[in-house]
Amino acid sequence: MSQPVVLLENVVKRYGAFTAVNDLSFQVEQGEIYGFLGPNGAGKTTTLRMMLDIIQPSAGRILMLGSKSAIPVRARIGYLPEERGLYKKMKAVDAISYFAQLRGMSRRDANRKAMALLEEFGLAEFARSKNEALSKGMAQKVQLLATIAHDPELLILDEPFSGLDPINQQTLEDLIRNQREAGRTIIFSTHVMQHAERLCDRFLIIAHGEKRFEGTMSEAREAFAQRLHVRTTAQMEDLMALGDVAAIRVEDVSGAETTFEIELEEHANPQDFLARAVAQGISISRFEQAGATLHDIFVALAGDEEDESQSAGAMKEAAE
Amino acid sequence: MKQILLIAWREYKQYVFSRGFLLFLVMFPLGFVAVSAAIGIAERTKPVRHYVVYDETGVYTQAIVDEIERRRMRALLEAWDLYAGAGMAPDADPLPAPFAPDRIDDQRIAAFKEAGGLDAARAAATDRLRAGVPPFPEPAASFRLVDLPPEAANAESLKEAEDALRPYLLEEKTVSTPEGRKTVFAAILIPRDFSAEDDAPPAQYWSRNLTDTLLEARVSRALNDALKRERYETLGVSPEDIADVEAVSAAVKSFRPDRAPDEAELGLQDRIETGLPAAMTYMLLVIIFGVGNLLLTNTIEERSNKIVEILLSSVTANQLMMGKLLGIGAVGLTMPTIFIAGGIGMSATIDTGGEESVATTIMNTLFSSNLLAVYLFYFLCAYVIFAMLFLAIGAVSNSLQDAQSYMGPVMLLVFAPLPFMIMVFQEPNGVVASILTWIPIYTPYAVMMRAAADPPMWEILGATALMLAFGIFLMRIMGRIFRNAILQASPPKMREVWRLTKKEAA
Repeated sequence: MSQPVVLLENVVKRYGAFTAVNDLSFQVEQGEIYGFLGPNGAGKTTTLRMMLDIIQPSAGRILMLGSKSAIPVRARIGYLPEERGLYKKMKAVDAISYFAQLRGMSRRDANRKAMALLEEFGLAEFARSKNEALSKGMAQKVQLLATIAHDPELLILDEPFSGLDPINQQTLEDLIRNQREAGRTIIFSTHVMQHAERLCDRFLIIAHGEKRFEGTMSEAREAFAQRLHVRTTAQMEDLMALGDVAAIRVEDVSGAETTFEIELEEHANPQDFLARAVAQGISISRFEQAGATLHDIFVALAGDEEDESQSAGAMKEAAE
Repeated sequence: MKQILLIAWREYKQYVFSRGFLLFLVMFPLGFVAVSAAIGIAERTKPVRHYVVYDETGVYTQAIVDEIERRRMRALLEAWDLYAGAGMAPDADPLPAPFAPDRIDDQRIAAFKEAGGLDAARAAATDRLRAGVPPFPEPAASFRLVDLPPEAANAESLKEAEDALRPYLLEEKTVSTPEGRKTVFAAILIPRDFSAEDDAPPAQYWSRNLTDTLLEARVSRALNDALKRERYETLGVSPEDIADVEAVSAAVKSFRPDRAPDEAELGLQDRIETGLPAAMTYMLLVIIFGVGNLLLTNTIEERSNKIVEILLSSVTANQLMMGKLLGIGAVGLTMPTIFIAGGIGMSATIDTGGEESVATTIMNTLFSSNLLAVYLFYFLCAYVIFAMLFLAIGAVSNSLQDAQSYMGPVMLLVFAPLPFMIMVFQEPNGVVASILTWIPIYTPYAVMMRAAADPPMWEILGATALMLAFGIFLMRIMGRIFRNAILQASPPKMREVWRLTKKEAA
């Protein structure tokens, strides 16, 4: 197996008594779209900054593209921070070219690439406009193009969808997929689950600076407690008596029928549960096995932390 | 290194190729020319001021007229010398005395008049002028004596004359002058008993214009000299002897004891050598102030516009800092370089009749010794020391308002040595100079001021070593503040800044 593009081992970041990231380990493989999910203040931005060697970890090991520091391999990485801006007085084409040059491209190539990207994304006529004259959406596109202009192998996008209108969100999704098709590795952080669900091959859920889950969507669903929606004339006690029920609650009552949401014990088989119900003569008019959404998984894994961690963590992350 | 240069070039381009900077470069010399032209025009178009003298003694009017004429001739010769200096063709024979530029005194004024005055001077210069130089325009006379109006001329007493002249001074009546009928600018009334005696009545100067005191000063000088001459005569000194005494002018030459006897005399180069450090020091102060503000606003812009994190994902904080220092430092040096180059260019076009021009001498002074290298070195040291302070302030501020609270003390630090610089200038190896030399942030100023005065070498080397050590320490501390603060979304409070000086503060 080839070397991972990104490897974090037991990484810790402390600010005095506050631990922003605690014992975090994960790895990202070549050609993956890797989601970095967590509520505000979970330590996402801190982790990304450590990966880029903008700040140093208090403990642990980070390998980026095989290098112990991102600094020597920065030219091979494209980074779009959550808080991003442009020089107001710079022209759009110059801004893209400038950042591409800072990441190692020659001036000529950078200028050519900047122009080509602006044309590709429908901004050619604004190439010579100053950034302050661009609309917000255009400026966001320019920022994105400045991130990819130097053809990085690894793209790190921190909350790339925040602040984008639906059209630009779609453009960004397409761009991320295209980049993956071109063989690049993409890591993006978000707390909007729909994007992650649609795009990610694998994802990591982080809360309170700690890893809560890492894997694929199907792995998450498997690991996640299974839920059933059952409409029946039977009583709650009758269903509980069937066994394997971890939790049960009334969802809806309609005439003589009640809809229950049933959470089964781990490793319980829903088909066996149904068979036992039929055998007991319980009348069932609806039996639905609910697929857990990433949102459910996220809320279950990180939601409990959000309230308590957000106040301290979010303030700290916002301060960085 | 490529990244540092890229950042430096972007910073440089942003300011130097901006419309504002280019406009300033064009406007500054234009403004200079415009102001000079305006002064010239104002001088030339200043109307002749007419005055009258009611002189009961009948002897002092001529003294006043002579004094005013002497001053007019002096001003005329000054203008002529400038014209002759700049307008002669390089290969022309020098003008003959008294038309050649020279010291202006009463003898030369008399000789100039004797040799035919301005007309003769113009004739002598005609074949020597470079092509296209216009003829010398004669400066207009500032004051002209006109006849008293009849009612004042016939007055029986000073009081009567005063009453008769009042309407003319109040612009109610006019007198006849070569320029047509004009009001009287001033009236001088000299009483019959006017003399040098203590109880003698004073001469009177009447004018509505209280701000232009030039004529009053001329009259006062003329009467003063006349009374002195009278006193000499009563003491038995002949008019010839008086003239002889008045022409006496003490010649004093200055020498430097540290030079060989034949080179010891103080020349223009020596004067420039001693004056140049002060000029360079003040220029340094101005540049640091201007450039400091650029660094500050520019860092604040990158912070508040959220550009800095993108930059820091491409370059290290140190590279960013060095790029900024380099780029903005180059902006600071661009303006004086352009003006100095412009000055050299212009001075090269002025012929000074074989003698070195001031600009040439400045250049010779700068380039013939190691002064330029010394200035440049200390200039850069001072720049780095203060620029680091401005950068750190920019890094802990989200707006200029945030920066204000730090700027006060820093500005005080920048300008604190100003009052002491005069002392260092006058006594380059005195106690104040020594103390300032040993304060690292002022070492550059002090050494630049003292450079031409041969200060003790051990003192300079010691203080410079201390300054370099302090500079490196400051760079580390301010660099840490910059690195630690630049990514913080909200600016740290003043009391928290010290925490940012620690290595792991971020």
